[in-house]
Amino acid sequence: MNRYHLLHATEFLYDGPVYESYNEVRLRPIHDDRQSCLSFRLTTLPNSRVSSYKDGYGNWIHVSNILPHHRRLRFEAESVVLVHEAPAPEPGGMQLRDLDAKRADLYEEHFDWVAPSAYVPYLPELAEISKSAEDSCDGTVAGFVQATSDTIHRNFVYMKGATHVHSSVRDSLTLRAGVCQDFAHLLLGVVRMRGLPARYVSGYLVSGSAGPGAKQEEVIGGQASHAWAEVFLPGQGWVGFDPTLGNPIELRHIRVAYGRDYGDVPPVRGVYKGRAGQSLSVDVRFRPALDDSGHEQFAETSAEPEESEGHPQERPQQHSQQQ
Amino acid sequence: MCLDRGLFSGYTAGPFYDEMFSSQGAARSHYARLLEKLGGMAPSQFEERRKLADLSFLLQGITFTVYSDGRGTERLFPFDLIPRILPQSEWAHIEAGLTQRVVALNLFLQDVYGKQQILKDRKIPSSLVYSCRHFRREMMGLEVPHGIYTHVCGIDLVRDSSTGEFYVLEDNVRTPSGISYVLENRLVMTRAFPEAFHEHEVLPVAHYPSELSRILRMLSPRGESESQIVLLTPGIHNSAYFEHSFLAQQMGIELVEGSDLIVDGVVVYMKTIYGLKRVDVIYRRVDDDFLDPLCFRSDSMLGVPGLMGAYRAGNVALANTPGNGVADDKAIYAFVPTLIKYYLGEDPVLRSVETYLCDRSDHLSHVLTNLPKLVVKSVGESGGYGMLMGPSAARAEIEAFRERIMSEPRNYIAQPIVPLSVVPSYDSAAQCMAGRHVDLRPYCLYDGQKVTIVPGGLTRVALQPGSLVVNSSQGGGSKDTWVLRGEC
Repeated sequence: MNRYHLLHATEFLYDGPVYESYNEVRLRPIHDDRQSCLSFRLTTLPNSRVSSYKDGYGNWIHVSNILPHHRRLRFEAESVVLVHEAPAPEPGGMQLRDLDAKRADLYEEHFDWVAPSAYVPYLPELAEISKSAEDSCDGTVAGFVQATSDTIHRNFVYMKGATHVHSSVRDSLTLRAGVCQDFAHLLLGVVRMRGLPARYVSGYLVSGSAGPGAKQEEVIGGQASHAWAEVFLPGQGWVGFDPTLGNPIELRHIRVAYGRDYGDVPPVRGVYKGRAGQSLSVDVRFRPALDDSGHEQFAETSAEPEESEGHPQERPQQHSQQQ
Repeated sequence: MCLDRGLFSGYTAGPFYDEMFSSQGAARSHYARLLEKLGGMAPSQFEERRKLADLSFLLQGITFTVYSDGRGTERLFPFDLIPRILPQSEWAHIEAGLTQRVVALNLFLQDVYGKQQILKDRKIPSSLVYSCRHFRREMMGLEVPHGIYTHVCGIDLVRDSSTGEFYVLEDNVRTPSGISYVLENRLVMTRAFPEAFHEHEVLPVAHYPSELSRILRMLSPRGESESQIVLLTPGIHNSAYFEHSFLAQQMGIELVEGSDLIVDGVVVYMKTIYGLKRVDVIYRRVDDDFLDPLCFRSDSMLGVPGLMGAYRAGNVALANTPGNGVADDKAIYAFVPTLIKYYLGEDPVLRSVETYLCDRSDHLSHVLTNLPKLVVKSVGESGGYGMLMGPSAARAEIEAFRERIMSEPRNYIAQPIVPLSVVPSYDSAAQCMAGRHVDLRPYCLYDGQKVTIVPGGLTRVALQPGSLVVNSSQGGGSKDTWVLRGEC
């Protein structure tokens, strides 16, 4: 089953009235040759007229402005997605020692994906990870990236709450822990410092019970909002790596948006007026859309509500961390 | 002309190009008539006119604010009564050069936020564009009204004493300020020296507000007849607030702050006592960073949330266009002659100052070994902030800059010091005329077809003896700039 019906609800509860809430939503799954977004609908509560546009990276952004006073703000994104087989790293390919000759060209052609970014600065600790991956890999570029992903998976602890939504790789390097957002950032940092273009992928991981032949316990953290990275392998193209899961990209990885790091692609980002604390809950549910024999199966992944500190300022911001 | 008496007695031109006197000490032909008039004046008479002019500025509240002294002081912009005069032939050359430059910069902005052909053709390193702090990815693929980015440009020119030629020193295509001083200086000058304007055919500058307002009206998405235009200011604490209120009043448009506007759906409205009024065009004097907290810096209190959504939907026009900062980045400056050649197939009319890019290793080593001879500038700054003047800097200051350059080379460029030309200016302490260095900032308006430049522009003058820094924020003053209809 690789056709999913997805319902992603994000709800903000305020302990006082807020107003003039302006939000950008990045929840529409990518539609390209590896994934088809068959339908998408965004509704808001309170009701609002939603407009949309495509940004410079090709992501769809929906914009909703809600002016009247409210204490609860809910976004419901409903989509149907068909996921195709993702390309795996091809055996062989470019040798790591040949990469240096290509570095200047890659830097010019893919600047945004190679340069350090706000959440992913170049740090000496990342070069150490790079060194150990380089020593243990088979000498190919693809092998190096896989070894990096494995090293991060082995040496960092997946721990919910260890980091927060605005943590950079600096924090996870100190803590040796983090969530999928941090794991993805670590991988980006290491391969970029080595000269390879890499981009942050915001998306979903369909839980084991809904996915094809996967085990339930593989769904880490019990939350379906997920992040990983795609790396540009010269000669082959963009290939995904999931350092959180430690497994290859499968049919249960659904891509929603590309960015330099999390900062480019928060699922919901907004500003509002009013002096009220906020709490946020995210709930993602999957249901395989009609399977080949015409039957529907149901499976749900429900998220734990996450508390976040209120920011009593004139124009507070709203954000949710990717797990 | 003998300089043995009156105002100019004892004046010597010195080693720099003197705008008024040729190297032999004779007045240049376009200054002859003025010198004849002023030369006969007693210092006391001149002093009287000077006080009249100062009073006129004070009474009209023509001020600016200096940030760096920690007091946020509002000051009078010092005005020097000796005008800077340009004969028609020199102005025609400048005008042709600026026109070419504005059109090329506009084409560059269309391209980098569109197809990026110039990057694909490798005429400019794409890393240089993408690493520019003011390159706005939010503007990519966005179609802007009439394809105009550079509605208002202020391009700084200097005359190099060693060649006598004009060079472009920097482009200002974000929210250049200073035009209000051009208009006010002329007004005060006609009061202080009414008779001088009978004797010279000075080209007028007063049509600037009506020309700007014509372009703004033209941008209205609902058509010119139904166009509500506003000027968006950061507020009274901004250094150019005087200019914002002055221009709004001159153009007969509303002066608003971010909190006066609201976006509903994808339409911008102005809050008035009669209810919400739809806004069509915003002449914004708020920086990109602060324009829309949803799109740019989320901690901005100055902007209008949702504004970029309305802009993207084509319901409101903005001048200047967001993202222009990539075109006046001081490292991109080094490539402007390339841009002119690439887009227009022409050679640049005006020359550029030799520029070293600190993120190129060969340039960097040259810069680091020659710091005491160079001027170093931070690429994204303007107004004379973040700058090192090598020859006049203390050793410690140079070393501090060396550290900054090495830790962030992309952020700095260096240029040789240009020996700026001088214009005689009144030194009120010594009660005599002395040569002071000047630059020239003409203001260019672009409607997508034609570049209009009010003749002259703002001549800024470094009033401290020997100083080469003319920025008002760094203690500079200004002069009225005359472009003559003929040669003298």
